[in-house]
Amino acid sequence: MALLDVTDLEIAVAAGGKLLPVVRGVSFEVEESETLGIVGESGCGKSLTSLAIMGLLEGSQVRLTGGSIRFDGRELTTLSPKERRAIMGDQMAMIFQEPMTSLNPVYRIGDQITETLRQHRDMTRGQARDRAVELLDLVRIPEPSRRIDSFPHQMSGGQRQRVMIAMALSCDPKLLIADEPTTALDVTVQKEVLDLMADLQTRMGAAIVLISHDLGVIAETCDKVAVMYRGKIAEAASASDLFKNMSHPYTRGLMNSIPVVDHDVEWLEAIPGRVPTIDEVLPGCAFHPRCKIAETRCSAEDPAAREMAKGHEVRCHFAGKGAA
Amino acid sequence: MNALKKFHAIFRGRKLATAGLIWLCIVAFAAIAAPLIAPFDPLEIDPVARLSEPGTPYLFGTDHFGRDSFSRAIYGARMAVMIGLGSVFVALGTGGLIGMLSAYFTRLGHVLMRGVDVLMAFPALLLALVLMTLLERSATNTIIVIGIVYATTTARILFGMTLKLKGEVFVDAAICSGAGHGSILFRHILPNLISPLLVQASFIFAFAQLQAAALDFLGLGLPPEVPSWGNMLSEERIYVTRAPWLLIFPGALIILSVFSMNLVGDAMRDSIDPRFKDDIAGV
Amino acid sequence: MLVYTIKRLLALVPTLLAATILVFLFIHLIPGDPAAILLGDTATPEEVATLTREMGLDEPIWRQYLLWLGNVIQGDLGTSVFFRQPVLSVIGDGAETSILLATMTMFWIVLFGIPIGILSATRHGTWVDQVTSGGAMLFASVPTFWLGLYLILIFSVGLGWFPSSGFPSLSDNGGVANLRYLILPSLTLAAPNAALIIRLVRASMLDVAREDHVRTARAKGLHPAKVAIRHVFRNALIAVAAAFGFTFAALVSEAVVTETVFSLPGIGRLVVQSILRRDYPVIQGVILVIVILYMVINLLVDLTYARLDPRVSLK
Repeated sequence: MALLDVTDLEIAVAAGGKLLPVVRGVSFEVEESETLGIVGESGCGKSLTSLAIMGLLEGSQVRLTGGSIRFDGRELTTLSPKERRAIMGDQMAMIFQEPMTSLNPVYRIGDQITETLRQHRDMTRGQARDRAVELLDLVRIPEPSRRIDSFPHQMSGGQRQRVMIAMALSCDPKLLIADEPTTALDVTVQKEVLDLMADLQTRMGAAIVLISHDLGVIAETCDKVAVMYRGKIAEAASASDLFKNMSHPYTRGLMNSIPVVDHDVEWLEAIPGRVPTIDEVLPGCAFHPRCKIAETRCSAEDPAAREMAKGHEVRCHFAGKGAA
Repeated sequence: MNALKKFHAIFRGRKLATAGLIWLCIVAFAAIAAPLIAPFDPLEIDPVARLSEPGTPYLFGTDHFGRDSFSRAIYGARMAVMIGLGSVFVALGTGGLIGMLSAYFTRLGHVLMRGVDVLMAFPALLLALVLMTLLERSATNTIIVIGIVYATTTARILFGMTLKLKGEVFVDAAICSGAGHGSILFRHILPNLISPLLVQASFIFAFAQLQAAALDFLGLGLPPEVPSWGNMLSEERIYVTRAPWLLIFPGALIILSVFSMNLVGDAMRDSIDPRFKDDIAGV
Repeated sequence: MLVYTIKRLLALVPTLLAATILVFLFIHLIPGDPAAILLGDTATPEEVATLTREMGLDEPIWRQYLLWLGNVIQGDLGTSVFFRQPVLSVIGDGAETSILLATMTMFWIVLFGIPIGILSATRHGTWVDQVTSGGAMLFASVPTFWLGLYLILIFSVGLGWFPSSGFPSLSDNGGVANLRYLILPSLTLAAPNAALIIRLVRASMLDVAREDHVRTARAKGLHPAKVAIRHVFRNALIAVAAAFGFTFAALVSEAVVTETVFSLPGIGRLVVQSILRRDYPVIQGVILVIVILYMVINLLVDLTYARLDPRVSLK
């Protein structure tokens, strides 16, 4: 049985008195110790999906309107807030995009790590502190017993992100959700952090859901990939399968728009058109206005998920057509 | 048309603020039309009817001289509006200008803002009291004094906001296209400050009422013959047990007007440029 | 921290000097001969002339200023025309009342302002929030003396729970129980200030709640109350602390009206009476004391900032 099983997840945003769907039926599974990458442009709903899984959907503005999330055999959507909180930070953890602002500036980083530990584990102050030092060492922070008393503003972005990782992994979670963890970092630091995450995964055996808009990052680190567009999964496959046989025109468009360093080109390829706004209603396939291979059927009928090969599903009437 | 849309955007869904605005319009109307709608001359004495209860013909009753409270209240509205607008004018005109110029011309600014700092070392009411000792009691002087008191905070606020705007790209663009200082200040920077200035103005208007009332109460504000809500409270306070209505009405009028102005200012503040929100933390 | 404090104290000096110049000039701005003003209307020309010579009022003004400044540093703020006592002791008499009043008022402000502010912020958008915010704004719109008068009417005259005027010193009969004279006045003063604090706490907390680190705190599975206090309020405290300092400073002088309504022998009432009595040395002395108080509190607020917010670098 999969560790995380998301089925037909629907999330809507309340705006101007109306409920506008943002995530419109997303399904995927993550096995233990597996890494799933979710790719997509801004606004496709990937962040909201991760927040929903974690249980961080805020108040009245954003709401889970349908679907199920099964984690470790339990249905999360029907849990009480108290039960949910018991899982958050313990069996399931999350790190966010902006390391510069994701840590509380008035507390030392050591105290922020021990806060998680003492919330979920029966530890004395001393024990929690020792464990925090271990964790800092694990995420390769130099001189951990000294730096544990630093304030966030005394550390660089890369270091802060590593502290976030330490905090997230402190209770040995089964699932780590990483929402664009490296987007705000320098390229060189990016690589360090990704390597660290891969290493930790091997050591601690956690599953990872990695969200990014950067195909390169996804390609490096993920076992499985799901490509999201406008609230639905356009294409999902194992990483190797996806990059060898990408079939959805959107995935292809994403791939082709990455400039290759050693090729000389006159024009950069881009996907024409723009991402539709949240309140626009589009009949048929959401991607059809921007699609190179769209035909009349596409504007009328929303394609259902089709299995192209084992473990490789696509939502397109004409998947596979057109040059790769 | 644009103004109407903005208006709707600010007050939509805010019932209290809209009610406040309506009240303020009533006050403004009373202020303007005072001579026409006041049933009696506010200074006219009717010794026989001293301290009579509210009823006809004296809607709010009469004070210890036998003057009609209702008419005095209506003329008091006039005073309230004058004090409010006058203080705003003085505060924004002097303080606002100083703040803006100090931010724009940095060398001059250092000197000017130091002066403002020194003045800000004096608490508001104390400053007002001290200034009033140097001047004789009159409506104009009260307005000037209150205006000066709030000019200091206004100067600080405008200083901060102008500094932020000065660093914006559009100022550099204006300089590149050869615009002179005056042009930049008044055609580029000032228009951006209109909304926060209006918010600040509304808070000054509100607090000026309370300051004026306090000054009146202490015997240092408006001269006693002038019908103002503050004066009504000050003069009649010894009769509070015999004629409580004499204090309830003017007090309620002050509270309602200040409250309304605060509500309106608050509503407007929510719709101004977010980067200025921190600067206008109230007066 | 010590170095920083000393540096800030030194930086205060120029502003302080400028303020003293203004205070000194105050008497000279009043129309009329200073000596004649000081002696009052009953003085003969000879007395005026004598005093002028004695006080050095015929000297150049900068000399007078330095003389005056020298006296001030030694603690001599002049002599009160009305009391015929040193200004400093007159002020000292009123200080007990004013400080006690200010402290009690701060107590109410903290007791009511902070919890209601937190409540308002955490119940943002609900009727609780609307009522408390609206109520706070209403209380901030009430003239203090009106509130004071009605409190007297209800609780003193009507119910007889509290005395309505005066304040015997704590060292008199009754000791600490004499504080009950300050209950109504301190509540009167506290009302509008508590209202402002409520709004400030609410606004600051709502701002902080939007920040990323609050989301991180929730992602740790912490109880919402813990998040609200440890992560939202604690961070909002930075902005609120400054307001507290200034409120306290303002209280000493803004208490003028309240002291008048309740006939309390405090510094505020002293100022007003001195103004009406034209007792300029006292006015001068009080202004100076209050200005110094303001500056000291300013400094304390800065230092508190540094303690509360580790990002503030004490350069």
